[in-house]
Amino acid sequence: MTQGRISELLVRETGRPVGGKGMSLIVATAGLGFLAAGLAARRPSGGPHTPSATSPRKREALRLSRDGAAIMGSSVLLDSGMEHLRGDYRRDAMYAAPLAGAASMAASMAEPRTGSPGKLIEGVHVGAVATGMAGMGFHLGNVLRRPGGLSWDNLFYAAPLGAPGALIMSGLIGMATHRMARSSGQERRHGRQLAALSAGAMLAETAEVALLHYRGAYHDPAMYLPVTLPPMAAAGLLLEAARPRRRRRGPLRLLLRGVEALGYIGTAFHALGVARNSGGWRNWRQTTMAGPPMPAPISFAGLGKSGRAALDLLDIADDRLGEDSK
Amino acid sequence: MTRPIGRRAAEAETDPRAVNGCAPDVFSRDGTVPMREFPESEEVDFVIVGAGCGGSVLAAKLAEAGMSVVLFDAGPFFRPLSDFASDEYEQEKLYWLDPRVSDGDDPIELGANNSGQAVGGSTVHFQMVSLRFRPEWFKSRTKLGYARDWPVDWQEMWKYYAEVENALKISGPIRYPWGPKRGRYPYRAHEVNEAGLVLARGAEALGVDWAPTPLCTVSAPRGKSPPCAYRGMCKIGCSVNAKQSMLITYVPRAIRAGAEVRDLAMVGRVETGQDGRATGVSYHRGGEWRHQKARNVVLAGYSIETPRLMLNSATSRHPQGLGNSNGMVGRNLMVHSNHAVWGEFEDEIRWYKGPPSMATCEHWNYVDDDPTKDFDGGYSFMSQGPLPGDFAGTLTGATGMFGDELLTAMGKYNRMAGLKIVGETMPAPDNRVTLADESDPLGLPRARVTYAFSDNDKRLQRHSLDFMSKMLGAAGGRNLLETSSTAHLMGGCAMGDDPETSVTDDMGRSWDIDNLWICDGSLMPTAGGVNPAMTILANAARIADRIVAARNG
Repeated sequence: MTQGRISELLVRETGRPVGGKGMSLIVATAGLGFLAAGLAARRPSGGPHTPSATSPRKREALRLSRDGAAIMGSSVLLDSGMEHLRGDYRRDAMYAAPLAGAASMAASMAEPRTGSPGKLIEGVHVGAVATGMAGMGFHLGNVLRRPGGLSWDNLFYAAPLGAPGALIMSGLIGMATHRMARSSGQERRHGRQLAALSAGAMLAETAEVALLHYRGAYHDPAMYLPVTLPPMAAAGLLLEAARPRRRRRGPLRLLLRGVEALGYIGTAFHALGVARNSGGWRNWRQTTMAGPPMPAPISFAGLGKSGRAALDLLDIADDRLGEDSK
Repeated sequence: MTRPIGRRAAEAETDPRAVNGCAPDVFSRDGTVPMREFPESEEVDFVIVGAGCGGSVLAAKLAEAGMSVVLFDAGPFFRPLSDFASDEYEQEKLYWLDPRVSDGDDPIELGANNSGQAVGGSTVHFQMVSLRFRPEWFKSRTKLGYARDWPVDWQEMWKYYAEVENALKISGPIRYPWGPKRGRYPYRAHEVNEAGLVLARGAEALGVDWAPTPLCTVSAPRGKSPPCAYRGMCKIGCSVNAKQSMLITYVPRAIRAGAEVRDLAMVGRVETGQDGRATGVSYHRGGEWRHQKARNVVLAGYSIETPRLMLNSATSRHPQGLGNSNGMVGRNLMVHSNHAVWGEFEDEIRWYKGPPSMATCEHWNYVDDDPTKDFDGGYSFMSQGPLPGDFAGTLTGATGMFGDELLTAMGKYNRMAGLKIVGETMPAPDNRVTLADESDPLGLPRARVTYAFSDNDKRLQRHSLDFMSKMLGAAGGRNLLETSSTAHLMGGCAMGDDPETSVTDDMGRSWDIDNLWICDGSLMPTAGGVNPAMTILANAARIADRIVAARNG
């Protein structure tokens, strides 16, 4: 088995076969650090790097989208942090995922900037996307290396192919939002782009959920919810991206709130799922790892938010059109 | 079995627990569930002797169809959460270890892997391998030219395999490489452990198919069962209740449907009346002999105890024992060859993790025209995960090593892997169960088991050892060690179409006595090259439907 240098060091220093606590501490510290950084950068004081061109309404809409991206980043931080802990951080590269997730979360939380702070934020997003892509490559390699290759069993149990996608999506949405914040107007174009992006992310996420809930044999009927509601919302968003129509947005917004709620409800369901493992929550050190991943469903909350942000942008564009034609 | 009935004590092995209208709640540490009880003087519809694969399924389905059922088992009624220890020797309480006389050219070792003495039978400690028979085996005489035909059509059995697989939520692969298409397993296969991946790598190197083994332990929550925690103690009783044994599936179902279970109740005789028909059973429970009246008696005690009971119930009207006018009771007993190859590996395997047999290869069950195949029948083999005591016993048994030498060998335990067959043996009339001259403490004659392998069996064993050695070598194994043993029992009271050569008809009804039935592995006319549990279960489900249909029709 491959042993990364950090892993070796920790094992040597702690004298334990698995230095899990040390590793978790590193990741947790980094996560908290990024959270603090993000919070600090959240409300800019109107300093020299604040983009001045954006209207307040557009800024609000984009903030909603950024919140979505930040939630996805936090989901990546916690989920990969846990799952990679389960794999003992055996390779040093396994630290990259939670750290990139945390950085992406912080960058998304931060209010858009111009100049070098803006470049830093965008650099973090690009880094998240790149890390996600590399992660997908690593995960694919892990699947292909095992006997059976691209088989159902490896898709279920080897490194999950879809998981790094959340990091890619978090980076992409963060990046797109940041770019959009730097220009005024163009709400219609930006709204359509964000709608398409959110829809794509929702469909990808649904595919992963479908695979893993199939692994769980849909043993609880509630497991069908996250494979039905999000694709419906994604279809609506795609329609909006193709041909925006204001009258559709009311029901679609409701649906997106449903998807967002699913993120929170899903977390609760997964907590119940953990309880249904042998030993329940009393045996949390084992069952949180073996049971359904608690931090995974929350990314739907992020996607629900960024979907709604897209609709807000389209509303702003329509309102402006209305005002112009008056 | 000496204390009076009704005393509540922690000792499941000495005090009956299914008493006073309550049975143990198997999903709790000390709770009970309500259970219907029948007076002994009431003639119940069915007395079923043995609460394993055959008896439990039958009891549940008959009770659900509204019949009055009393299900007997000689063993205790355990609550896995509080009664099972992670200790190989403590858990020997799950086996039928009462002495028997075992002789013949190849005497069978009786106990751990071919018996069970508990409510739930051997499914409480089985390794959960849930394979189906190859369809042709149901007509192996007609279609493959050896042994004998079953009186049942494979498609009917296929339907019942699906029924019991669903009832037990078998966790199996999405695509099964051998045999006709089967429906999707109700739960997904488990992640194959490292020991299983050794088989997988070997199979890929040799160009034969492999599959994650369909297992009778859930890969996701089911009711009160948590998903498998991969503790690897399956073979000594699952203490987390992920294993879908009879004890936590069909037995509770039977109780819910109004059946009564009598634990620690050793049935010693089937009583018959003036007309020669069965009238009930005499059984020993709570320190005394008792009697239960019944309209029908079903024997489900497996291949040794079922014939033993029939032979021991002889009367002047049935001088050779019940249902034995043709002398077939106890004959054609079969085992599975359980030969294995073990090897050392460079990397850590830690084969004790997870269920013991997570990968399987049924190649030699489905290949008929390979030039190296010099035997009739077939064999499957699986990856292995013996617990330390078990494996130390294997090493000592095979090589005689002991002391320091054994200690050194066991030091390699975490870097070992093995492959072991379930190999079909041929039915032979002289492989049989008879009554020994000596008696057990209850005064019942002990069973005498006489067994010898045929030349065909030995060719199959040699072939399998050669093939598995090749595969283990291809997977990186070194210092290979071959061992031989047996597992499972089949036959002894074969069902058939011909009253001259079989004990029962196709629905398990004795040819001689129309209210005496058999419903367990002893009905199997052939052994097949797969673990028998699913076949016994499916056959029991089929027999139950036939009995219900006969009553309604």
